[in-house]
Amino acid sequence: MRGRRRVRRMTGPSGVGIGWRPEIAGFVAELPGLRFVEVVAEGVPASGPLPPGLTQLRDRAVTVVPHGVRLSLGGAEPVDPARVAHLAAVAQRLDAPLVSEHIAFVRAGGLEAGHLLPLPRSREAVDAVCANVARAQAELPVPIALEPIAALLDWPDDELDEADFLTEILDRTGALLLLDVANVHANARNRGADPLALLDRLPLERVAYAHVAGGSERGGFYHDTHTDPVPAAVLELVGALCARRRPPALLLERDGHYPPAAELRAELDALASAAGFPAVT
Amino acid sequence: MTGTPEGGSAPAPRAGLAERQAELVAALVAGGEPPAGFAPGPLAATRAALLRKRAGEVARHWPLLAAGLGARWPTTFAEWAARRPTAGSLRDGWDLARALHDRHALPPAAAEELAVREARLRYDGVRAPRPRRVPAVGRAGGAVAVQIAGRVRLLRPAPRVPTRAGDGVPDAAGSELWISD
Repeated sequence: MRGRRRVRRMTGPSGVGIGWRPEIAGFVAELPGLRFVEVVAEGVPASGPLPPGLTQLRDRAVTVVPHGVRLSLGGAEPVDPARVAHLAAVAQRLDAPLVSEHIAFVRAGGLEAGHLLPLPRSREAVDAVCANVARAQAELPVPIALEPIAALLDWPDDELDEADFLTEILDRTGALLLLDVANVHANARNRGADPLALLDRLPLERVAYAHVAGGSERGGFYHDTHTDPVPAAVLELVGALCARRRPPALLLERDGHYPPAAELRAELDALASAAGFPAVT
Repeated sequence: MTGTPEGGSAPAPRAGLAERQAELVAALVAGGEPPAGFAPGPLAATRAALLRKRAGEVARHWPLLAAGLGARWPTTFAEWAARRPTAGSLRDGWDLARALHDRHALPPAAAEELAVREARLRYDGVRAPRPRRVPAVGRAGGAVAVQIAGRVRLLRPAPRVPTRAGDGVPDAAGSELWISD
């Protein structure tokens, strides 16, 4: 079923995909049924040669979605125009049908946190995110999907619950939702909440694609590490999500401690079977 | 507009989002005071998770530094980085490698990695490293690397001294005089 058409802009994410990383480029290149990958946008140059593995995938008409991790859309300060311009340029180069970023902040007061931090679920934070998403949307050539993050801490000044917070941001920005099933699991586990109750209240018709990743328990918390196998509970949650409304695509994120190829293939197969998608391996 | 938290047990007047975000980041990565109202357990878990994530990213940029330290890598990095906000993985690893070198605690493979980087790029410890435009020599822990026209070769490996019960490898003596820039 490999399409031969070369459209200028690739089709939207579909089926089971995997986060493209240089360390597993060879593995990804050899997945026969793959139609969709995601790439960390900050790792792709805006000009000059693309990483060779990515060029190959584009030649196969595999959809490549740039996934930003450093925009800091949830920062109180306006988003950095140079970072938005980079994301826009990468989307253009890759003929991406959309880009994605997080509902989070990664820097403040001149300091880099080094990773995604949660926002207070307050009206003020909703305003800040919506203003930054609007700034980004004004420069991006394609739609943006927003991903709620996994957080170990909550702010003391939350005014909204998670579903209301996310729905309000999506409604006001018109953005798509990138739903990370492992994050839903992690947050529910760490807050003692019910993940299914959250799924029931999110606008699942707005999901552009979903993330799935592994994690581990440590010090009384579930950590969304992306360096461990996908736990059974997360796969079950994928099934529960698909039973409600199956997203167009599911993407496995792995960011280190790469397992042998056979194990990674088995994870992709397990994802496909949990969602009822064809295997890509 | 923004009030200053007074401390105490009553809900403090809330500062603006920018200020509160800055306070939280400083508490997480720069040894700042924990911001009012945050539960200490989740704050500590977040701090540790950020350090682990950062250690993984630095290890990708400095594979021999991480591999050379082996099982000691996570704690060595975390101790060094706990109160130092990141300057990016390249510079974080570079600063740590230089600090370990100064303490004679840089493993040989990591010394070679550092020497090669020192030959390739000019790094003043403050600004982003830049490619060297003229031939240069990089040295660390007895390792010597030379860069000519952008190509770097390791001329002399760092000496492997028999380790004493898993201790760090001491720096080799007499490594200073080999070649001058």
